[in-house]
Amino acid sequence: MARKKKNDNWVELKNQPVPEGSHLLEVDNLKMYFHTQDGVVKAVDGVSYTLDRGETLGVVGESGSGKSVTSLTIMGLIDMPPGRIEGGDVRYRGKSLLKMSEAEMQHIRGNDIAMIFQDPMTSLNPVYTIGRQLSEGMRLHLGYSKEQAMKRSIELLTMVGIPNAEQRVKDYPHEFSGGMRQRVMIAMALACEPDILIADEPTTALDVTIQAQIIELMQEMQEKNGNAIIMITHDLGVVADVADKIMVMYAGSPVEFGSADEIFYEPMHPYTWGLIRSIPKQIKDKKSPLTPIKGNPPSLVHAPKGCPFSPRCPYAKDICHQKKPEPFYTSTGHYTKCHFANDPDFIKRNQPPTSRSIKREAAAKGGEA
Amino acid sequence: MTFEKNGEPLLRVEHLTKEFPVESGVFGRRANAKRVHAVEDISFDIYPGETFGLVGESGCGKSTTGRTIMRLHNPTSGKVIFDGKDVAKMKKRELKEMRRNMQYIFQDPQASLNPRMTIGEIVSEPLIIHNVMPDAKKRMDYVRELLDTVGLNPEHINRYPHEFSGGQRQRVGIARAFALHPKLIICDEPVSALDVSIQAQVLNLLSDLQKQFGTAYLFIAHDLSVVQHISDRVAVMYLGHLMEYSDWKTLYDTPYHPYTQSLLSAVPIPDPDVQRSRKRIILRGDPPSPIDPPTGCPFHTRCPIAKDVCSKDVPELREVAPGHFCACHFAEPNPIKTSSVDLGTK
Repeated sequence: MARKKKNDNWVELKNQPVPEGSHLLEVDNLKMYFHTQDGVVKAVDGVSYTLDRGETLGVVGESGSGKSVTSLTIMGLIDMPPGRIEGGDVRYRGKSLLKMSEAEMQHIRGNDIAMIFQDPMTSLNPVYTIGRQLSEGMRLHLGYSKEQAMKRSIELLTMVGIPNAEQRVKDYPHEFSGGMRQRVMIAMALACEPDILIADEPTTALDVTIQAQIIELMQEMQEKNGNAIIMITHDLGVVADVADKIMVMYAGSPVEFGSADEIFYEPMHPYTWGLIRSIPKQIKDKKSPLTPIKGNPPSLVHAPKGCPFSPRCPYAKDICHQKKPEPFYTSTGHYTKCHFANDPDFIKRNQPPTSRSIKREAAAKGGEA
Repeated sequence: MTFEKNGEPLLRVEHLTKEFPVESGVFGRRANAKRVHAVEDISFDIYPGETFGLVGESGCGKSTTGRTIMRLHNPTSGKVIFDGKDVAKMKKRELKEMRRNMQYIFQDPQASLNPRMTIGEIVSEPLIIHNVMPDAKKRMDYVRELLDTVGLNPEHINRYPHEFSGGQRQRVGIARAFALHPKLIICDEPVSALDVSIQAQVLNLLSDLQKQFGTAYLFIAHDLSVVQHISDRVAVMYLGHLMEYSDWKTLYDTPYHPYTQSLLSAVPIPDPDVQRSRKRIILRGDPPSPIDPPTGCPFHTRCPIAKDVCSKDVPELREVAPGHFCACHFAEPNPIKTSSVDLGTK
């Protein structure tokens, strides 16, 4: 366990104000490629977003779309090589995370930005007690003594709803159920009161009733601590539940970014439309077949030349196969990478119906009648 | 649209129970060894051409039910009547004959396809085992046709499973299950390993094939929206017990059982407006262990409306409305608003 270095120049970033005109976390055109024997894998290809305290960003996409790798890159957890930053920047409170030394990053991880993972069993160490694992971060980052850390661990476990915390703190991970383990992970991530909590598919391995508990807990904790959350998931239902902003990723790059309402009610990218059409809806009277997206996601080694979605896009024209689309911004900061994003007629014609648009139409019809 | 029951049920499950001994002690099993109560006294029936959905959380015994019906496990007690014969009492030869008409689609398409066989060999294996198409050339033509039906390129007949994506592999599994034109296919979580866009492809394929061949499905899944989409009738399981079953619309519109109600309200709906406005029931705690199940109603430890009687008596599965069965002492209709508008697809 590395001790925190006593260094006079050390600035506790968490306590610094966010510089004027910037955000808590700014990811700016981040590019990270893996250089493998098979070729260059463009795992993160031009990701941009901003995040403020108290906000929740939902990152959605299919498996292999680069959702997790993006946050691992931000945390500096990608092995370089084979990974390499090819451009862009990540700024946390105005400071570039990519330029920080390993020692500085170590202080950021867990203290300023904490992470929870999909499978709580593999991310907890089976040979240490829960209490010891919870204490580790606090002793390292906050300089707590063993006793102080253990006391705080018990408080944290109680806070995340684990009954009989004084006893459970001495238990090992295998003595907890899946939902309980995820609660421990959340307690561990929140131990140092981080600014940003990155949750990588935190509920995918859990049952729906347990999922609802965990989501409720994360929201409660956010209200209490005011931290930002980056929620990575493939489940559009989960993001609809928690997210303020949503980034839809496809083949390593974000195809659309906007507020939750914009993504669900005014989606602009054909891939987002496809995703919304693919999910079974809560239909009332009749069943209609789903509208799947044709084909499979592309290999990231032999990525298509033009728009990555063009081989599966039902609206693709020649330009889509030739040229990569640039992001098109609306006035609200909602952006889309599609060649036809500036054509409102095209979007209106092909957008899937949403509960809002159906209500609007019904109201319009009612008005005429 | 509700499913019209015509004639006799294809499959009747009566008081099916399956327990597994927990091995303990140095000398192997003991007479009084603990048992996992995986499936407890469940009864339902499936009609020809129908899709019967079975939902529940992990460990509730839904897969064990499917496997016991096919007699991949021997039932502890109870009857499984398929096509007029009791599967539980069948001899080896009868079992083989029965399995011509009952096939299985597995969750993990990676693990359920032999990596050393080409997909042509995989799909033609049932035909060889049951010796329905002795002529090799004819058989291969038929396999090509089948691959085409499930949306795979027939030219890929000599490729190996690793050369396909997850969704395509699941199509191979489906082609294999359909090779003998069975009357019933047990689909055990067929889409849960797939991404949403691929999941929709496979669900559509299963519906199309059902229309074409008139096959009945026992569709086992944990994803309620998927089950709702594909099923004619849906049953909810908890800790080995059947809690409630009905046609899909009634079950999702007016669930009677508090467990069904909380399960439905726990599913996040991909529509922020609905999500913000609806009332949710969040259950406390975890499901109890099936090794040491609670007395009385299996759900009473987490149930928001549990009374004394719930911890004493096991509630009977009773008909609360025509065709709607529920096992709760206090079952009363309590419709939950799941969605306020009809989302038709263009």
